[in-house]
Amino acid sequence: MKGIVRLSMIICFLAAAAGGYGKDLDSLWQKGNDAYSIGEYREALSAYKAIEEQGYESAPLFYNMGNAYYKLKENGRAILYYEKTLKLDPADDDAENNLKIAQQFTLDKIDSVPDFILATWTKRLMDSMSSDNWAWLGIVMLALTALLLLFFRFAPSTGARKLSFVLVCITFLTVILFFIFAFILKSRSDSRDYAIVMVPVSSVKSAPNATGGNVFILHEGTKVSILENVSQWSRIELSDGRQGWIPAGDMEII
Amino acid sequence: MQRIGIFLKNNMKLKAVLLFFCLLAAGTASAQHSFVAEAPRVVGLNKPFQIVFTADAEITGFTPPTFEGLNVLIGPTPSHMSSTQIINGKRTDFLQVSYTYVVEAKAAGKVKVSSASAVLDGKTYSTKPLEIEAVATDDAADARSSGDDAENTSAGRRGASGEVSNEDIYLRLTFSKTNVVKGEPIIATLKLYTRVPVERFEDIKFPVFNGFWSQEIETPQNINFTEEAVGNQIYHVAVLRKYMLLPQQTGEITVNPAEMICQVQVMTSRGLPRSIFDDFFDTYQTVKKRVSTQTARIQVRPLPGGAPASFGGGVGDFTMQVSMSRDSVKANEAASMIVEIQGKGNLNLIESPQVELPADFEKYDVKISNNYTNSVNGFSGKKQFEYPFIPRSEGIFTIPPVAYSYYDISKGRYVVLKSDTLRFRVTPGDSRQAGPLVSGMNKQSVVSLGEDIRYIYTGSPRLVRDGYFFTGSLYFFILLGAIVLIYFVLYKLLRRRARLRGDTLRTRNRKANKIARMRLKLAQSYLKENLASSFYEELHKALMGYISDKLAIPFADMQRETISRTLEEKGADRTVIEEFMQLLDDCEMARYSPEGGTEAMEKEYEKAINIISGLENKL
Repeated sequence: MKGIVRLSMIICFLAAAAGGYGKDLDSLWQKGNDAYSIGEYREALSAYKAIEEQGYESAPLFYNMGNAYYKLKENGRAILYYEKTLKLDPADDDAENNLKIAQQFTLDKIDSVPDFILATWTKRLMDSMSSDNWAWLGIVMLALTALLLLFFRFAPSTGARKLSFVLVCITFLTVILFFIFAFILKSRSDSRDYAIVMVPVSSVKSAPNATGGNVFILHEGTKVSILENVSQWSRIELSDGRQGWIPAGDMEII
Repeated sequence: MQRIGIFLKNNMKLKAVLLFFCLLAAGTASAQHSFVAEAPRVVGLNKPFQIVFTADAEITGFTPPTFEGLNVLIGPTPSHMSSTQIINGKRTDFLQVSYTYVVEAKAAGKVKVSSASAVLDGKTYSTKPLEIEAVATDDAADARSSGDDAENTSAGRRGASGEVSNEDIYLRLTFSKTNVVKGEPIIATLKLYTRVPVERFEDIKFPVFNGFWSQEIETPQNINFTEEAVGNQIYHVAVLRKYMLLPQQTGEITVNPAEMICQVQVMTSRGLPRSIFDDFFDTYQTVKKRVSTQTARIQVRPLPGGAPASFGGGVGDFTMQVSMSRDSVKANEAASMIVEIQGKGNLNLIESPQVELPADFEKYDVKISNNYTNSVNGFSGKKQFEYPFIPRSEGIFTIPPVAYSYYDISKGRYVVLKSDTLRFRVTPGDSRQAGPLVSGMNKQSVVSLGEDIRYIYTGSPRLVRDGYFFTGSLYFFILLGAIVLIYFVLYKLLRRRARLRGDTLRTRNRKANKIARMRLKLAQSYLKENLASSFYEELHKALMGYISDKLAIPFADMQRETISRTLEEKGADRTVIEEFMQLLDDCEMARYSPEGGTEAMEKEYEKAINIISGLENKL
């Protein structure tokens, strides 16, 4: 199954490559990796940034950028890029590991409200693959469903038809589930709901203006969810449920 | 009250020195003699002073020195002193022979007294040449009035008013440098300058060097005064303390003043008019005088930025040596790596260099041993850092070069010392034979040496345009459509094939009756001809063929059970089926043993027609 997914992905990327990037980006990527390997992190970062500025993105790119920022001790940015990586590919093990390490250097410790156990399981299942992989898997399952349906229609024996009917039901449900996952993950990537605090210290106010009272203080690298934006201010919520207003410039959207 | 030393008069001290030499001479073998010259280092111009040549044996031949720039007023005046002491029956003789000159400096500047020689016990001894500085003092008038004790006179003069001025006695704290970089050694000297006789000191408050690492490098037990010319004055100067300071802070550091109380002897007179005896019966009064140093300020510059990572706080001039404590290292046996920092500078404050022993080694705390002495340039000597370790496994190990850097004051930059890479072999230890217990191999879990992020992804970047997703993309929907399309195409194809197959069955079904009728007609003709076996054969064929065509049962599968079951499924009457089966049995029987005759045959024929038409209605 994975082989098929891979193969079809390669085909897809070849198609994307045909319409998009060429040698230029590849050499930038190589240059960045080479610079990183000899410890020239700033140089590596500038190469990666050049790729990003040309309007391309990918989980490996963001992951490497996160690493470079981490090595340059810009922890907030490192966390931002690891989060970006995970947003594109929630199954990226390395990014998750490095994010955890980078988060050890952040100052804020926020206890998140525990989720309903079923929701956690669903989320974990959904995060085990990227949106595109779910989509490919869904398509493969759909093809299987179609085959089973044909079998159901034209099977000579009643027993085979009964079995194929059950299988058709199951596969069709999985197809729907996979496509739901794929689209949820896609919409999550498209959303601009989360941000990372980028300044060393930012005071969160009770109102979207500088005169509002301070509610709490956040430090670099903390992840917040954005609820709404009013001019230069964003209303944010922490994972423990506290809310406040923060200058939009103090953070960067994942 | 603290009694450190007593200074009364120059000649008194001279006597003390002489006595000391006598004792020394008495202590050592009598064959060894001494012949020394004594004179003040600094004298006032036109003030008479003594130069004494002393020997501890009879002088048989005395060669006087030459006095350049000095007027010899009196002398040489020989003096002879001897004493005999018997203590517990042990007799000791003291003998002291001296020649004294009273001289006077003619001009300011340095004057030299060449060496004098004397023959003692047949051996010639000579003194060291003396160098005396003559200073033109302000109170030249005093030169006439008193003898050799200039300070005594001036003290007496001031004693009339009962006070000691700040110029008569003062403390000085001098620094070798006042503008240094952090960690650069400074020598601070605390000196007492006096022109008046000091009886004793009390309440000494030594300076406190906040912001410095300080160490006393000279703490004289007895205070020895030497003459020193300050400006046009002759002072008796004593070094009270000498410190070595290493600045630990940057910026302007203030050193709080040192303070002490001196008991000074001043001469008092009983008011005017002075009688002629007053000079004889000078009465001395002890006056307390508080002296203190001034607040000193030292500028400490920070070390320049860009210190190498291996910088351990060393300022000065160092070299480094790296070695192993033993040539061969065995597994499970302690050894150590030794780093020696040698040179001059703040050796006491340097940190231990970073040594990266192989991770598998058991490491212990660094042992530091010092072997350095104080000097004007800070400490000089060496500091040894010992890194003990126990290798737990055998093999060839590499210790990366030890880097150590220090700040070179004279060059004004950081200097990095780097050793070579140490490679050595750890031979298998013989710990297994060592004890009666055979200890098993120590299993150890893989220890995380340090947490670091995982390495970058080096494969294909798999770049896509910003926000591009396969999910919901055109390709995605095309693929979805393609699957649905392929499904329908396959469905159509399969259905057409199935329909084609279904058509042949239907035709057979449709034609079943016709074929049956044809066969029955043939059977009827056989009946007319009275061909019994042919008739029954044809009748059987007609029945079987009809059922086969009608029920789409292949001829090969025509079994009684299959037929009756299929018929039942198709909804035929039970009686009709039984009749049909009966007829089939009859046919088969009659085929091989025809017995019924024409009437029976006709009966069977009728029956067959009835059954077929009956089934035709049902199926």
